Amino acid sequence: MPSLSLLRLPGLLSLVSLFAVSLHGQGTTEGVVEVTSAKNFPGYVVDDVVVPVPSEIFSVLDKLGEPNWRQELRGVDTADTTDRTRLSLIFGSVVAEGFVAVQAQDKKAVEDIGREVIDLSKSLGIHKSVLPHAQSILDAADRSDWPAIRKEFDLTQKTVRDTMEKMKDNDLAQCVSVGGWLRGTAAVTSVVTKNFSADRAELLQQPMLVNHFVGSIEKMSGSIRKHELVKAVAEGLKSIQAIMEKSGEGFTSEGVGSIGKTCKGLLDQIDGKTNE
Amino acid sequence: MKHLTLLLAIALTFLPGSLHASVDDAHSFAMEAATPFVSEGFIVREDYWNGEVKSGQKLMVKHQLFKGNEYAFWLGTANEDCKLEIEVLDEKGNKIHITPKIGIGPTFTSVRVNPPKTGTYSVVFSVTSKTEKGVFWALAYGYR
Repeated sequence: MPSLSLLRLPGLLSLVSLFAVSLHGQGTTEGVVEVTSAKNFPGYVVDDVVVPVPSEIFSVLDKLGEPNWRQELRGVDTADTTDRTRLSLIFGSVVAEGFVAVQAQDKKAVEDIGREVIDLSKSLGIHKSVLPHAQSILDAADRSDWPAIRKEFDLTQKTVRDTMEKMKDNDLAQCVSVGGWLRGTAAVTSVVTKNFSADRAELLQQPMLVNHFVGSIEKMSGSIRKHELVKAVAEGLKSIQAIMEKSGEGFTSEGVGSIGKTCKGLLDQIDGKTNE
Repeated sequence: MKHLTLLLAIALTFLPGSLHASVDDAHSFAMEAATPFVSEGFIVREDYWNGEVKSGQKLMVKHQLFKGNEYAFWLGTANEDCKLEIEVLDEKGNKIHITPKIGIGPTFTSVRVNPPKTGTYSVVFSVTSKTEKGVFWALAYGYR
């Protein structure tokens, strides 16, 4: 929850203001953020982490060559489930798949993903907030307006996380982020493995993000932290963390392959394509 | 006492909205800073950081950047008469940002970054008001 210690106001106004601040504090990006002291820095560190969207990495890969993004599309044949933890992980991965589809400029794939986003949001009980974005995705797909589709996928993910945080489902919001990161990273490792170079592999140097996800899972409530899928994700992330730590001077192709295999294995489990 | 309760009730009814608008305004000003960058091909991220802080208090955000992209960070505030400062540092504390000629105004400022390598960078910023004890801020970014 928001830390209010940074700003103190006197008297009645103080009471009112603090109430107001807590009202508009909505987690990761809204309102007051949590802060902690930091070593060697005369100020405060904002605890919130903004996770890059897959497109940020894809755009670099495009500059380094011409990946065949259509080959990287995985499809959205996801498990039929009412398990909200699994649904949240799936939601993140489906939105990330949307970014792959945008990169591939595959209209049909974008439309399939847009419809899947609607179905998943209904299963999660958040379709009211997601529907306008999903409709915008479908409309923009009709016009082949790729920048607009990319923007809507970014907005969709943010809206879902914000809505979950409003519903006090912060752990599920984290699952959305993790699912998205796993799918994006699987696509990146696949592209890098097909045409390995140090520059491409360096894009996987993301220890802060992996540490953030591992830390987030450790802070989750018992029921979600002990969920079979979340336990598997935590283990997988720790193995990725270990590879990243070893690869300070640069990744080997084996290291990239290993990260990719871990991500793909976890995505298969999330989608119900393998036994957990 | 009755009057105080009434005053409190009225304040609680109306003030949250106005303060909420202030946080949103900070983001709107950050987006105003982003506008000229968009015409240069920058893609604006929908996620951003924001909050309320003591005037002049330095804040730091840790963020993942990828070598090969150019980034821009946009800092906005809802408060008038403020000095806005922002810099981007590498892991050794070296400044790696460039101050652009665009995206600078009374309630917003910008920096550009070409990260020399992929990794975690620190964005350090402050908003100092001449009149207010506390300020609302928003930090957004984009890439191309």
